Amino acid sequence: MILVELRKMFRRPRTWATITVLNSLPVLVAVLLVLTDLAPRPGEGPPFLSAVLSNGALYPLAALAIVLPLFLPIAVAVVAGDSVAGEAQAGTLRYLLARPVGRTRLLVAKLVAVLAFVLVTVVVVAAVGYVVGTTMFDAQPVAGGTSVSGTSLTPDEISGRTLLAIGYVAVSMLGVAAFALFFSTLTDSPLGATMGALAVLVASSLLFTLDAASPIAPYLPTRYWLAFVDLFRDPILWRDITRGLALQGVYVGVLLVAAWANFTTKDVTS
Amino acid sequence: MPGRETGADEVVVDGRRRDRHTAEGGRSDAGGCVPSTRTVSAVVSPGFGARRRWAVVAGLVALLAGLPSLIGAIPASDRDVPAADLRSAVLASDMVAFSGYAESAGGLALPVTDQLASVADLFSDRTLMRVWWRGPADNRVDVVTPTGEISTHRDATGTWTWEYESATATRGALGPLELPAPLDLLPSALGRRLLSEAADGELSRIGARRVAGRDGLGLRLSPVDQASSVSRVDVWVDGDSGVPLQVQVYGEDARRPALDTRFLDLELAAPGPEVTAFSPPAGAVVREDRGVDLVEAAQQVTGPGLPLTLAGLDRRPMEGLPRGLGVYGRGVTLLAVVPAPGRLTEELRRALGASPGAVVDELGVRASIGPLGLMVVDRPGGRAYVLTGSVTLDALAAAAAEMPELGGRP
Repeated sequence: MILVELRKMFRRPRTWATITVLNSLPVLVAVLLVLTDLAPRPGEGPPFLSAVLSNGALYPLAALAIVLPLFLPIAVAVVAGDSVAGEAQAGTLRYLLARPVGRTRLLVAKLVAVLAFVLVTVVVVAAVGYVVGTTMFDAQPVAGGTSVSGTSLTPDEISGRTLLAIGYVAVSMLGVAAFALFFSTLTDSPLGATMGALAVLVASSLLFTLDAASPIAPYLPTRYWLAFVDLFRDPILWRDITRGLALQGVYVGVLLVAAWANFTTKDVTS
Repeated sequence: MPGRETGADEVVVDGRRRDRHTAEGGRSDAGGCVPSTRTVSAVVSPGFGARRRWAVVAGLVALLAGLPSLIGAIPASDRDVPAADLRSAVLASDMVAFSGYAESAGGLALPVTDQLASVADLFSDRTLMRVWWRGPADNRVDVVTPTGEISTHRDATGTWTWEYESATATRGALGPLELPAPLDLLPSALGRRLLSEAADGELSRIGARRVAGRDGLGLRLSPVDQASSVSRVDVWVDGDSGVPLQVQVYGEDARRPALDTRFLDLELAAPGPEVTAFSPPAGAVVREDRGVDLVEAAQQVTGPGLPLTLAGLDRRPMEGLPRGLGVYGRGVTLLAVVPAPGRLTEELRRALGASPGAVVDELGVRASIGPLGLMVVDRPGGRAYVLTGSVTLDALAAAAAEMPELGGRP
């Protein structure tokens, strides 16, 4: 079941088209940076972008930071929103459920497929970022790099922490995926499900910037997204990272249970 | 939704019918009962209705949403410690090593001048700080921002300040007068400073509260000075170590603190020396900090010098201060008199005049921002002075009237 869904996901041209489009933005930013040699002023622009001119090995992180606020969640919401509602719209959900598999298992299989998409996307963005960064900027492979706190990191530490950051960004996307999947069981329109998840995101990002909303800020799904920067402080600041992981876990758990509650006895009419 | 529920109902009806059937038939033997119970239980008990499933969801959400407030409601246990003893414990706590994470929130929108922007940010914003404390002369404070950080490493002879985003390391020397730094906003440092000169009569105990998962014993300081603009200071002190966990400074508004700083995490174990040490990384811009030019201006002052009392506050004897610069008062009631360079005066006067509630008269421009009073005294022909401190507007006016004419290059 899971294998079927995975195969279906990665055989679709649109999956790869999405990933390609997602990668074009960091590549464009890199080309512009090299051509103009204008790094963003300190404190402005995405994290790590001002540092890549001196150390290209940091470009995977800058690439992730570029796509993290908007493009990555959009891609995830599109794919996850399509997972159940897309079948319903295409009229294949009925036939899918006619197979002797439980609906809960179908939901889990859809979620796993979305997870795989998130992971593959993040890894591809980071890999393309690495290739772009090391070929277009000066890499410092021997000297290692400088942490956010101003201490020196060995190349091993940098690559280890980059891997952790990739994992963290992937987990951060799970909340979006869970929202889209839940909305996807509510409606027959994949567009509606995607837009619902994006509405949640926009609302969350907006509330996060508002001081008056600070009492609910720790519960916003986007609250800890930027915490992957904390992996590059020295010593690592785990507080927000563990909170971010737990928060995404809670969102995935609750929304998956809600999706199950809705979908298990839903009348499938299409 | 109806699909399976209807099915379940049918089975139940079916079961009842069978029961009735067996009862009517009078053949209530074991064989007749077994299939009926099995059918009913098999379908009804695991057959969550949609309503029951949603109840599970609602219960789960309620549990998760209520968890933080449940944890927050764990009561703090108070101890019978007199206020004076608690104050002594706080003052003795500067050698207690710890590491922690603190948040300070200030509601003071200071009139911003370019030179003092970093100070203004400290008091108006929410500042997140990581701290490693091995002692007063060996510590590190990182101001954490979403995309970088500014870390200040203190050692025996000075400070290193590292700014990630501009990759700049600045070496600063220790001067007699320093502008407020993030370190001064840590509950531990601020609490010690505010309580250091408090009289026993000004202190009282106010119960306990949980801060950073520890029991904070409450200590309230209500200054008796007429000139003071601070109505009270609440300090919540860790009972075991004497480290202040939270400090709240109240101005006229007794409900909302003008400054609230607290630990979110605190670990009472000595951090390793490698954490507080610093050497500029390769590729960094290294600079030397030349100190505050306020001191420079004060050194050029000639004339009779500053009086021994201003607005009923005594001048504090301070080593190494130039004669043109004075600090008056005691405890939380402080007034600083600073000769201002012409450029700064102009900027400050404009910013101050624009702030709400500003008073402009023949003495100068004055305004209060929360409990902080600020005044620019500028007499034709004389030197411009800035008076500032935790004093009322009336006290500022009284002090300005008592200021002698001071000579010197403007």
